[in-house]
Amino acid sequence: MQAAKIAERILIAIPVVIGIGIIIFLIMRLTPGDPVDIMMGQAGHVSAREIELLTEQWHLNEPLHIQLGYFLRDLARGDLGTSFTKGRPVWDLIKGALPATLELALGAAIFALLLAIPIGVISAVKQNSFIDRASMTVAFFGICMPVFYLGIILMLVFSVKMGVLPTYGRISYEVMLHKVTGFYMLDSIITGNWAALGSTLKHLILPSITLGFPMAAIVARVMRSSMLEVLRNDYVVMARAKGLREFSVIVKHAMRNAMIPTVTVIGLEIGMLLGGNMIVETVFSWPGLGRLVVNSIFVRDYPLVQGVVMVYAFTFVAANLVVDILYTYINPKISI
Amino acid sequence: MKKRAWYFAVLALAVLMIGSLFAGCQPAEKEAEDYTIIVGLSQTIMTLDPANHRDRVTETVIRNIYDGLVTRKPDGTVVPEIAESWTNPDPLTWEFKIRSGIKFHNGSDLTVEDVKFTFDRVIQEGAMEGETSPRKGLMGPVTEVEIVGDDTIRFVLKKPWPILLAMLPHQQIVSKAYVEEVGSDIATKPMGCGPFKFVEGSIDERIVLERFDDYYGGSPEIPPVGPAPAKRVIFEFMPEVSTRIAALQGGDVHIIHNIPPDMVSTLEADPNVIVKTVEGTRMHMFEMNVTKPPFDDVRVRQAVNYAIDMDAIVKNVLSGYGTVVAGPLLPHGFARDPDLKPYGYDPAKAKKLLEEAGYADGFELVIDTTDELKDVVYAAASMLADVGIEATVRTWDWGVLKEQLLAGERMMCFGNWGNSTLDPSDLLVPKLRSNDRGNYSHYSNPELDALLDAAEVETDREVRKTLYYQAQAIIYEDAPWVFSYVGREIEACRSNVENWQPSTDSRINLHRVKLK
Amino acid sequence: MSQVQVSTDKTVLREYYLLRLRLAGINFLQFINKLRRHPAGMTGLIVLLFFVFIAVADPLIVPHNPKEVHLEDKLLPPAWMEGGKSEYLLGTDQLGMDLFSRIIAGTRISLLIGVLTVGISIMIGTTLGMLSGYYRGTLDNILARFADLLLSFPWLIFAIFTMAVIGPGFGNLVFALTFKGWVGFFRLVRGEVLSEKTKEYVEAARALGQSHFKIMFQEILPNIMNSIIVLGTLRIGFMIIMEASLSFLGLGIQYPEPAWGSMVNVGRNYLLNAWWISTFSGLAILLLVLAINMFGEGLRDILDPRLRRIE
Repeated sequence: MQAAKIAERILIAIPVVIGIGIIIFLIMRLTPGDPVDIMMGQAGHVSAREIELLTEQWHLNEPLHIQLGYFLRDLARGDLGTSFTKGRPVWDLIKGALPATLELALGAAIFALLLAIPIGVISAVKQNSFIDRASMTVAFFGICMPVFYLGIILMLVFSVKMGVLPTYGRISYEVMLHKVTGFYMLDSIITGNWAALGSTLKHLILPSITLGFPMAAIVARVMRSSMLEVLRNDYVVMARAKGLREFSVIVKHAMRNAMIPTVTVIGLEIGMLLGGNMIVETVFSWPGLGRLVVNSIFVRDYPLVQGVVMVYAFTFVAANLVVDILYTYINPKISI
Repeated sequence: MKKRAWYFAVLALAVLMIGSLFAGCQPAEKEAEDYTIIVGLSQTIMTLDPANHRDRVTETVIRNIYDGLVTRKPDGTVVPEIAESWTNPDPLTWEFKIRSGIKFHNGSDLTVEDVKFTFDRVIQEGAMEGETSPRKGLMGPVTEVEIVGDDTIRFVLKKPWPILLAMLPHQQIVSKAYVEEVGSDIATKPMGCGPFKFVEGSIDERIVLERFDDYYGGSPEIPPVGPAPAKRVIFEFMPEVSTRIAALQGGDVHIIHNIPPDMVSTLEADPNVIVKTVEGTRMHMFEMNVTKPPFDDVRVRQAVNYAIDMDAIVKNVLSGYGTVVAGPLLPHGFARDPDLKPYGYDPAKAKKLLEEAGYADGFELVIDTTDELKDVVYAAASMLADVGIEATVRTWDWGVLKEQLLAGERMMCFGNWGNSTLDPSDLLVPKLRSNDRGNYSHYSNPELDALLDAAEVETDREVRKTLYYQAQAIIYEDAPWVFSYVGREIEACRSNVENWQPSTDSRINLHRVKLK
Repeated sequence: MSQVQVSTDKTVLREYYLLRLRLAGINFLQFINKLRRHPAGMTGLIVLLFFVFIAVADPLIVPHNPKEVHLEDKLLPPAWMEGGKSEYLLGTDQLGMDLFSRIIAGTRISLLIGVLTVGISIMIGTTLGMLSGYYRGTLDNILARFADLLLSFPWLIFAIFTMAVIGPGFGNLVFALTFKGWVGFFRLVRGEVLSEKTKEYVEAARALGQSHFKIMFQEILPNIMNSIIVLGTLRIGFMIIMEASLSFLGLGIQYPEPAWGSMVNVGRNYLLNAWWISTFSGLAILLLVLAINMFGEGLRDILDPRLRRIE
C-alpha cells in the first residue's frame, strides 16, 4: 500500500475521532446528574459558595455551545482537559492506564493466536477426527460464552477455591519493578527483573484467557475452514505429489494462503478486544482504560469520559488500518 | 513475513516459559521487624492531594502520609496531633499551639507557615493553581488563618461554629515550600509529616508507603508514641468483595474493610482471621415526599414507620450488624434524646392510621434506591404489602435519581447520609432544613428551621443540646422519614495483626499496627 | 369495465399469493427434512423450543414467585447439598428468592430481548440497507459513514445514556441494543442489494415499469431474505449476551427482575459462600445462547451456505 493512501486513511480517522468526541460531549452533558454534587457525596458541610465556585471552574454554568467551544479549543491545542474527580490532566491519566489495557489486549491476542492457529490447522488437516470435533466444540462454547461469566468462573475455580492465581492487579507488590514504559512485561525484561516478569505473567493469565477466549474460538474456526478450502486446491495436491513432506506442505504452502481471511478476522477481533475490555477490567480489577471509563461515567467526570472514549475510537480505527496494511502485505493483489 | 511471525511466536513462548519458572518462586522470609502490612481497599482512590477530593477512602490513604492538627481516637474523641493544645478565647477565635520538632519527610521542619499555607489553600478561593479546593465547605465559616507567634496559629470565624474541632481531623498539613515547588504534582508525589512516606504507586493500582524514621510520634493521647512499627505499608485496591475476602483468607493482605454482613460467618469460621466491627456513622432512612399524596398526610408517614419491621431487617438483611434508630440522630452521636424510642413494628396500628387517613385499601408506591441498598428496600417492600401498600422497587444510577429527587418527582427513596462528625448539624441541616442540599423529602417547617439555625451558632453545649432535643421531637412526630438504622462497619484482619481497631469514621490508620 | 379489470387483478394476485404460500409450505417441509440431517442444528432447535416452552409456560411451572422474599431462607444451597431445602431446587439468593424460579422467569426476558432487538434491528437495517444499496449516491455515503462511526463507538456509553434518560428497564435496553444492532443488517443488505441489482430479474422488473418500491421490497427482498434470517438468528444469541453483559455491569434490567445477567452480577459478591447464584444463572445464559447458535448455524448451512464465510 502506498504511503499516500495510508496518510489519507489517517487523515480520515481524525474527523471520526473528533466527531465521536463531540457526540460524547453532548451525551454526557444531556445525561442527568451534576458532577459537582456527585463529587460532594451524601454528607454534610458543603457550602453553596463552594458549589458555585466548582461549577464555574468546570464551566458547567455556561450554555452548552460555549462549553463545546472550550472543549474544541482545548482539543485543538492537544489538551483533553482536567479530570473533575481526580484533579489531573486527562491525558496523564490515560497515559497511566493505556499500557495496562494494551498489555492485556496483547496478552489476550497472544493467547488466542497461539492456541487458535495451531488448533485451526490441526483440525483442518485431521478433519472429522476426535481432535477436530473436540476442539470445534470447545470453540463453539467460546462463541456462546459471555465474557463476564467466563471471568467469574475462572476466578471462582483458580483463585477462590484453589488459590493458585491472583485475581486483581497487574503485578505482585513483593517484586519492586522499576517502571520505564508502563508495559510491565517490557519493563521487567529491560531491567532484567525476572521475578517481576513471572509475577506479571501470572497476573496476566486469567484476564488474558477471559478476554482472549472468544477471539480464540472465532479465529480457530476461521482458520479451520479456510485451511480446508486451501487444502483442496491444486497446488497443494501438486506439492504433495512432488513428494514434499506433509509438514512442509501444510506450513509452507497451505497456511500462508489460509492466513489471508484469518488476518481480517483477527483485525476485527483486536478492535473488539479493546472495546470489550471494560467488563474484563471490571471483573479483574485491572487498572486500565475500561475500568477508568466505567467508573468515571458514574461520577459524571465529563473530561475523563470524553478523553477515554476518543482514545478508544482512535485505537479502533488504527487497528483496522493496521489490518488493511497487513492484508496488502500478505496478498499484494488487494488494494484498499 | 512468515519467518518473522514465527520468530515472534517462538520468542513469546520462550518468554512465557522462563516467566512461569520464576512465577513459582516465593520471596525470602522477612525478618520480624521488617514486615509489610497490606490493606485491601474496596475502591480506587481519587488523588493523593489532601486538599483536592471529597472521598473517604482517599482520605484513609492520605491520612497515613499526612497528619492533621488534631486527630480522632477510634471511639471518635478529638485529641491533639500536630497541635499541642488549643484555646477558644471567644466564639469567633480559636488558637492552636503547634508542637515543635516535627519534620516533613524531606527533612524540613514543620512551621506555622506551613499550617497557614495548608488552610489558606483550602479556604481561599482559587488558591490551588487558580482552582478552589472542594474541601472548602468542610472548614465552614473559617474566614482567615493568622500567624500569631512562632508556634501559634489563629482561626478567625465569621460566626460561631461549635464543631470546628470535630471537623479539623479532615484537613492534613502540607509543606508550603514543597507544594510551591511541585505545584499540582502533589497529587502524585505526596510529601507530609505523617508516619509513612510515599514510595511509589498510582491511584489506580496500588500505593506503597515506607516508615518515616524521623516521625515525631503522633498524638501522645493515643499510645504508643513513636515511629511506626511496620517497615512498609501497601494499599491494594480490590473492588470485588470475593477477591478481598479470598485475599485475606489466603494471607495476601492483612486488613480489609467494607465486608458485607452476609460474609461475616464465612470469615468467623476461619481461625486465621479476626472480624472487628464498630458503630458506623451513615444514617439510613426512607425519605417520603411530603409534598405529594399520600405522604402529605402525617398519619400515612407514621403508618409506614409502624409497618416496616426494622428489627427484622437488621437481623435478617444485615445479619444483626446494625442498630435501629429512634428518631433522626445517630445512637452514639451528640445530643440524641435518650427518651425517644423507635416506632417499633405494629402493623395493626399502621392499618388503623392508614384507615383514618383514608387509605384503608392501601395504595401503590414506588421506592427508589441505588443498587447497593436494594436488599433492604426489597425486604421493606414485602412488609408494606402486609398492610396493603403495593410497593415496587426501582434502582437507579445515583446521578439520575438525585435530580429527580430534588425536583420532587419521586414518592419515596431509601438512601443514607454520612455523619462522621457525630454532630447533628451536618445531618439535620442538609437533610431537613427547608430546600437544603439533601432534603429529598421536601420537608419544610419554619419552626424546625429556626431551631436548627440557632443550634448552628450556639456555643453553649447544654443549650445546644436542648435545641436539638426540641428539633428531634418535631422530626420524630412529623416523621418525614422512616427512621431506619445505622449499619456497623465490618472490617477484618489476620489474627497476627495487633493494635488495630476499626474506627468509627471508617478510616484505617496504620501508624500503630504491628504484626506478631 | 375498469371494475372488471380490478377484480381480475385481485384474483390473479390471490392465485399468486396462494402459490407462494404453497411454495413456502413445501420449502418449510424441505427445510425440516434437511435440518433432520443436521444433528447440531436439530439439537439446537429442540433445546430452543424447550426454552420457548419454558418462557411461555413460566407462570404455571415456577415453584415460587420469582420475586418473593424469604429472608429466613436466604443463601440456601441447592437441594442436593447439605443444608439445602427441597423446595429450592437450585438454592436461594441473598434475599431468599428461589433461584430455580428466577432462572425460569428469566428465560422470558432473555428471549424477548433477543427477539425484539433483532427484530427491530432487521427492520431498520434492511430498510436503510435497501435504500442505500439501491439508490447509492449521497444517501448511501452518509449512511455508510454513519455506520462506520457507530462501529468505532463503544456501545456501553449509549447504554448508560439511554438508561439515564429514559430510566432503567426494558424499553431503554432494547433501544440501547438496537442503536448499534442495525448496522450489521445494514451492511449485509446493502452488499446483497448491490449484487442483486445487476441480476436479470431486476432488469426485467424495471423494464416492465415496476415502481422502485415494488422492485426493492417485492423482487429483491424475497431473494435476500434467507441471508437476513440466518444472520438474524445468529444475532439473537449475540444480543442475549449483550443484554446480560449490560445487566452484569448494573446498567440493564435491575434486580429483582429475574434477568440472568443481573443475577450473575448479584452473585458476584457471594462467590465465596454462595457460588450457585452466579454459576447457575450464567449456565442458563450459556445454554440458551448455545442452542440459538447451534440452530442458527444449522439454518445457515441449509439456507445460505455462502454466509459461512462471514463468521
